[in-house]
Amino acid sequence: MTPLLLAQGLAIGLVNGALYILTALGLTLIYGILHIVNFAHGEIYMLGAMAVYVFFVVLQWPLGAALAAIVLLAALLGLAIERGVFRNLRGQWMQLLVASVGISLIIQSLSWIAFGAQEKNVPSVLPGVVALAGVRVPIERLAAAGVALVLVAALYWVVYRTRTGLAMRAIEEDEETARMLGVNADRVAAVAVALGFILAGLGGAFVAPIYSLNPGMGLEAILMSFIIIIIGGLGSITGTVLAGLAIGVLQSIGALALGAEAAHVLVFAAMIAVLILRPQGLLGRG
Amino acid sequence: MTVARVAALLLALIVLPFVATPYALHVAIVVLFNVTYTAALYAVLRMGYLSLGHAGFIALGAYTCVILSVRLGVSPWLGIPAGGLVAGLFAWGLGALTLRLRGIYFALAIFAFGEIVTAFFRAFDWFGGPAGIPGVPRPAFLGTPLASHFAFYWPVLVVAVLGIAILYRLQYTRFGAALLTLKTAESERLAESVGIPAARYKTANFVVSCVITGTMGTLHAQYLLFVNPQVFGSTMSTDLLIYAMVGGLAGFWGPILGAGLLTALGEQLFSVGYWKTLVYAAILMVVIMVLPGGLADLPRRLRAHFGAPR
Repeated sequence: MTPLLLAQGLAIGLVNGALYILTALGLTLIYGILHIVNFAHGEIYMLGAMAVYVFFVVLQWPLGAALAAIVLLAALLGLAIERGVFRNLRGQWMQLLVASVGISLIIQSLSWIAFGAQEKNVPSVLPGVVALAGVRVPIERLAAAGVALVLVAALYWVVYRTRTGLAMRAIEEDEETARMLGVNADRVAAVAVALGFILAGLGGAFVAPIYSLNPGMGLEAILMSFIIIIIGGLGSITGTVLAGLAIGVLQSIGALALGAEAAHVLVFAAMIAVLILRPQGLLGRG
Repeated sequence: MTVARVAALLLALIVLPFVATPYALHVAIVVLFNVTYTAALYAVLRMGYLSLGHAGFIALGAYTCVILSVRLGVSPWLGIPAGGLVAGLFAWGLGALTLRLRGIYFALAIFAFGEIVTAFFRAFDWFGGPAGIPGVPRPAFLGTPLASHFAFYWPVLVVAVLGIAILYRLQYTRFGAALLTLKTAESERLAESVGIPAARYKTANFVVSCVITGTMGTLHAQYLLFVNPQVFGSTMSTDLLIYAMVGGLAGFWGPILGAGLLTALGEQLFSVGYWKTLVYAAILMVVIMVLPGGLADLPRRLRAHFGAPR
């Protein structure tokens, strides 16, 4: 493998990693508060991508209006699912997990019925390629990754600089004490789920012009997100960011060296290794 | 269930192939597959571990048998125990490594394992690649292959009854009772302090579950006449979980009831997979939200509600 190919793999890997982070961060946020791994998260990502197709391609809305609608719809869906399902099952991890699997299957099968198996394509919004010292990255991916990193920064600000973020961290630290000190845990959980869904919906929206879309695309996204939050440490935002970039790079260089399917197995192997050697993840707390 | 009821059920299962249409027999065979898998999954759920990738062990059994018979020319009869053995060996290794993880960590590890298994078979052409392996031979009895539904029903019934009997019996041994104490980290420490080898028990239980799952998987592949990475993928794993949850996790027969009812329903009503998944998932949500004990708990709830006073 030449240094140039390695640099190319590194660049694409970092860009892909930045996009993975968006979906994975929502998962880690929800885990921190509710202690569940939300299996329906991949479907929100898929719906985000499909919504771009519906609003931007079919209905010909301006891109900004389409993205605003996605943010709004994702937040509403998050609030509805938290209120209708998650809140009633708090404290029962097995039921919660299986319920999120059920929600995921419902969204997915409804989408297959509504959208059909025909792949959808969204035309490129920013065509062109950036080339730097021989390393070439499509502008679209670079822009999407850039916006993703801005959103990550915004999430840091929410979690570490606002009262709601303080309440989130308090609940994560010690829910009982936080409740006693007057933190409204239900409201915080609703905000966390809504924020997580917004991130996942936007994550899907940003990849819409890059991939062909079908209702099964959520599975791939949720798998990568699981692997990333396990490696980074469930509940750790910084861990998720670092693991997302690392997995993006591992996958793209692995695919260049060994082929795409083998890169998949490699990424899984990395996760199993972390689970065995350091189950709490690289930056997780036991 | 009383002895009389079990005997009546067995009798019905033996008489069934002589009176049923080939289609009804097909449904019965698929029900037996899923009932056995779900009973095996329940053995793991019962000790507080959510196996989200149990179909991976079906795939291991199925592929072992298919590779042996199609690629290496080994008798399909030998493939049946070989598939169970391979599934058991993987369960032993994986269980030893991951059963000390708790809750969500174990669930995700097994979910990833199921995905690795199918990704592996998809990655190599010798294992059939994405298209899988067609032309899987069925075993022969007295020189004739078990080609009809009627003939193939019998080995499926034997493995199902043996598997379920073993799982049922194990539950009521000291071993089976000890497993109930391993549900949380605290009670597990307590159990260890009175001399229960928790790690060894958990692994042993996981291996038994997966051997039975893998053994049935070999017959499943022979019945379908092919294998591919999709049939025993994550959808199968979540289906099994839905059967168990809908049936109810409080007792041995709940998951079996759930698997039987939902499989029969799924085979009857829906030709397109999406509708089946939608109906399964909707039933699952209703059960989780309003009937936490599952369908097996329904008679008791109805009695309590409309209540003959006791």
